[in-house]
Amino acid sequence: MSVPQPNPALRDKYAIAGTGTSRLGQVPDVSSLGLMEEASANALSDAGLTAKDIDGLLVRGPDDIYTFHQVLGERLGINASFSTTTTNGGASQILSVILAVMAIDAGLASVVLCGFGRDAWSRTHRTEQARISGATRSAAMDTQEFGPEYGLFGAPAMHAFGARRHMHEFGTTREQFGAISLAFREHAQRNPQAQMLGRPLTMEDYLAARMIVEPFCLLDCSLRSDGAGAVIVTSTERARDMKQKPVLIKGFGTHNNLRGWFDGDNMLRTAAGPSGQRAYAMAGLGPKDIDCAQIYDCFTYMVLTQLEDYGFCKKGEGGDFVSSGTLALDGALPTNTSGGQLSETHNEGMLQIVEGARQLQGIYGPDRQVPAAETCLVSGHGGNTVCHSSLILGAA
Amino acid sequence: MAKEYTKPLPRPAPESEPFWAAARDHKLKIQKCRSCGNHWFPPSEHCPECLSADHDWIEASGRGRVFSFVTYQRLYNKGWEGEVPYVVALIELDEGPRLLSNLTGIAPENVACDMAVKVVFDDVTPEVTLPKFTPA
Ligand SMILES: [Zn+2]
Repeated sequence: MSVPQPNPALRDKYAIAGTGTSRLGQVPDVSSLGLMEEASANALSDAGLTAKDIDGLLVRGPDDIYTFHQVLGERLGINASFSTTTTNGGASQILSVILAVMAIDAGLASVVLCGFGRDAWSRTHRTEQARISGATRSAAMDTQEFGPEYGLFGAPAMHAFGARRHMHEFGTTREQFGAISLAFREHAQRNPQAQMLGRPLTMEDYLAARMIVEPFCLLDCSLRSDGAGAVIVTSTERARDMKQKPVLIKGFGTHNNLRGWFDGDNMLRTAAGPSGQRAYAMAGLGPKDIDCAQIYDCFTYMVLTQLEDYGFCKKGEGGDFVSSGTLALDGALPTNTSGGQLSETHNEGMLQIVEGARQLQGIYGPDRQVPAAETCLVSGHGGNTVCHSSLILGAA
Repeated sequence: MAKEYTKPLPRPAPESEPFWAAARDHKLKIQKCRSCGNHWFPPSEHCPECLSADHDWIEASGRGRVFSFVTYQRLYNKGWEGEVPYVVALIELDEGPRLLSNLTGIAPENVACDMAVKVVFDDVTPEVTLPKFTPA
């Protein structure tokens, strides 16, 4: 069986033509759908379009809302020649962009809105039990054996198994996880939308933080947030006639370790490896050609392993890589330049696509802009910790 | 009077019933393929290696190692009130399959990856027994 590779003829043929976000952070007066409407309206306006100009809708909300795309389409007042709701967790959002390209290339759509909205903060602050369980999805969705009866609850633990094994095999330290948390927190101080704006962090703060599920403390865990993001995908040719400078889709890839996080080496060598190789091959680029990165940061460890899996350093050397200033805005690989999900807002990767696109449009002032950024790698990870999607964007 | 058991109990899929029935008899059973010899867990109808439906439930040695583990310092469920910190470990059985469990007879700070463990059985209610592990 040959190994699938995305078609390099699609390189630069499609583009992101607009980006938008909703209010972020704590927005209790509106549901995930309302947030998604805000982000959609802002992305359409950014591209100089109206809802009637789109014929594709690839969106996702909380997993307990059935056919989120239909409910959103109703609110946006549109029908679509191509639409669906993706269910690969944090890998879904880049997957939507990939599906948009595939649909346009196949003639099923021409202008597609991709997005994600969630009301995770509001959901976990409505009742005391919701606060304790921290569950952003309904209990009926959770496995009822081989986990909860042993006290396994929540996403931090799943990822912490990988962190613990990485520490054991490679000598990775908590301070190295902390370096990731600190780097993104510093970036958030430059982002007026960031939830952690005005709350800078030191290594002393990190090491003194409350432990959640060891080896993770509170500051290894991403934020609980309400918010939504959206991007408009269309052909580069069409995007050139729209309002903004297009952002080229140079490469993409996916890989899903469906056998599970606990199988084989999956928690140490994630699906980012094969997914990234596909994206690099399609883009005709390698890790050394990437100017900045937006890496899915549900937990600090996931950034560390993905940086290794994407080939920015060798497997096992992620700890040294992240603690040498590499991830800073003036470092060798400015990463999560908005503050990411650890310090801007947790939006299951959607805002990281938005941030990557905006960096390549060069819209920011000198305090936040990655100088002369021509390429950006964006990653998405989720779906029981094994689904991965990669996107390489380029300046037009 | 014994304290009421307030932790969640397993709600098994039909495919898992033989595992829980064996646990009640203080046996750790996993599936073994008659076609390719593969051992697997969690339970499913067909062998994940060769898709054969022809398998036996065999009694595992009950020995293995801690592949990885996490230590809960935050309370997620009221059933564990007063028991934090506690460890959830991913056990790799000598036969190959991995399963989640708790460790008994060892303090959380002494647990380490790759330490050898063996199964013990915790009769948490008259109907439900949870296989757990202790240092071997
Ligand atoms: Zn078999």
